[in-house]
Amino acid sequence: MDSNKVGPSPDIAEDARRERLSKRWLPLASVVGAFGVVAAAALRPGGAPPAASSPGAPGAAPSLPPPTEPPPALPHQYTRTAVVVGPGMPGEFRRWLSGLALGPRDAVYALGDDEVRVFEAGGRLTRTWKAPEKASCLGVASDGRVAAGSSGRVDLYSNTGVRIGGFAAGTRDKPADVTAIRLVRDEVLVADAAARVIRRYDLRGTERGVIGAKNKTGGFMLPNRSLDFDVDASGVIHATDTGRHQVTSWTFDGTMVASFGKFGMAKPEDFVGCCNPVNVAVAPDGSIVTAEKMIARVKVYGRDRMLLAVIGPEHFDPMCRHIHVAVDSIGRIVTADPERRTIAVFERS
Amino acid sequence: MSETSTRRQFIDRTCRVVGLAALGGAAGLLARRTSAHAVFQVDPSTCTACDLCRTSCVLSLSAVKAVNDFAKCGYCMLCPAYMDVTSQPDEKGIPSGKVCPQDALKRRVVGREDPDDPNNNYYEYTVDEARCTGCGKCVKACKPPAGNGSLRLEIRYDRCVGCNECGILIACPSTAIVRVPTPGMSPLPVEGGHPRPVEGERPNE
Repeated sequence: MDSNKVGPSPDIAEDARRERLSKRWLPLASVVGAFGVVAAAALRPGGAPPAASSPGAPGAAPSLPPPTEPPPALPHQYTRTAVVVGPGMPGEFRRWLSGLALGPRDAVYALGDDEVRVFEAGGRLTRTWKAPEKASCLGVASDGRVAAGSSGRVDLYSNTGVRIGGFAAGTRDKPADVTAIRLVRDEVLVADAAARVIRRYDLRGTERGVIGAKNKTGGFMLPNRSLDFDVDASGVIHATDTGRHQVTSWTFDGTMVASFGKFGMAKPEDFVGCCNPVNVAVAPDGSIVTAEKMIARVKVYGRDRMLLAVIGPEHFDPMCRHIHVAVDSIGRIVTADPERRTIAVFERS
Repeated sequence: MSETSTRRQFIDRTCRVVGLAALGGAAGLLARRTSAHAVFQVDPSTCTACDLCRTSCVLSLSAVKAVNDFAKCGYCMLCPAYMDVTSQPDEKGIPSGKVCPQDALKRRVVGREDPDDPNNNYYEYTVDEARCTGCGKCVKACKPPAGNGSLRLEIRYDRCVGCNECGILIACPSTAIVRVPTPGMSPLPVEGGHPRPVEGERPNE
């Protein structure tokens, strides 16, 4: 196909000429046609006009959604009890907000506006420091050390924000697209969306293993090029497998031990759209908290992976592609909405 | 004497005619080149896929077509632009309805195929331009946050007649039809897209 060709080809020009002619006579034809239709309808028994258009015709209304069941009463309810930071508040993020993690004493660590900002659980801003360029996610160890991930790179900080190290992540040919990071057992776990795996590193950056590659597709299915995960108290890694609409669970040696979830638009326990859930967190009691896009919502699944609660889309921006989630030591859910640049706390009521 | 005069007159006239023809030709070429320096195109950032591209073009089958940017596409199994995700699921739990009323969006598995579980496959989506009416239903369904926004509407220059009476430009409610400079080149890639992945390779591999 030659896209530089601007002049009309003979048959296309003929088409256009016919089109213009037809447009000239169109108003008159429409009036006559409309009169005919009305007259025919009036003469028909019952007088009903004929059906508008067939379902396949251009411009036909899209198929209606199937009748949805009334939402079942879920065992748990969550209500928003606090806003840690938001527009107009001290420590607000004016340009962007992209990462969330909880540290010692449930302090909220957030990444945005080229900074790492630390808030007390009550919302008071306690420290800030400059984040690495183009940092996209962060993780906090139980002792307060912080890891920030950016494209192909991990940077480590002490609990006071002093840089204590860093290393390149991924391979030389394909640097890691770091979309999530956790510090667990003196290891740095890095979600590499480019390779579709989770990489295990020691604190010096030596790779110890890869998680997620031992499956049929050699990695997670990530149409949205984003991978998130969290680690529970027993050391099991729970990761989003968005293309499969699942949360999959893995041991540190890379063996998959469990999975749950499926696609569905009608039942609230299912995951909607092309690729969900996009974010995940584990509660101290083993419940799993997921966040979805398209219908921006957060859901809580119990230890048996039954749906316990839904925090509805009314709390989030409808354009939100990632609702970052974390769960504190007493089970409160902390969410970061990058579109509204707001971090909020939800408690079970 | 009169014979010489006639010959001179003849040469003079011939030179004038040739000169004028050359001048006219040069002017025509210049005008053509100047007009090719800018063309109309759809700005995907402001386009709302409102369906007016389908109905407002001077052609009976609009010169505006949907194209898929493979670099942005997620190669989803459950593509919200391909299948109507709200339609009744089939026995495998996959929505049975399609978004495109003309069935112009086609897909095929890329890379290794898992015949047992379609969730393990990546799919490449292309637009059959002969069927596409430019209604933009797929484009709308692919917009973020539901999709990656890889599908967009484009004026196809092999179809556009360059009539200078662009009905779409007048009708567009979001002023998404813009003039794009084209210094001797296509302003945007063609052929329904955009760099394809290497044959037999999965995306993201």
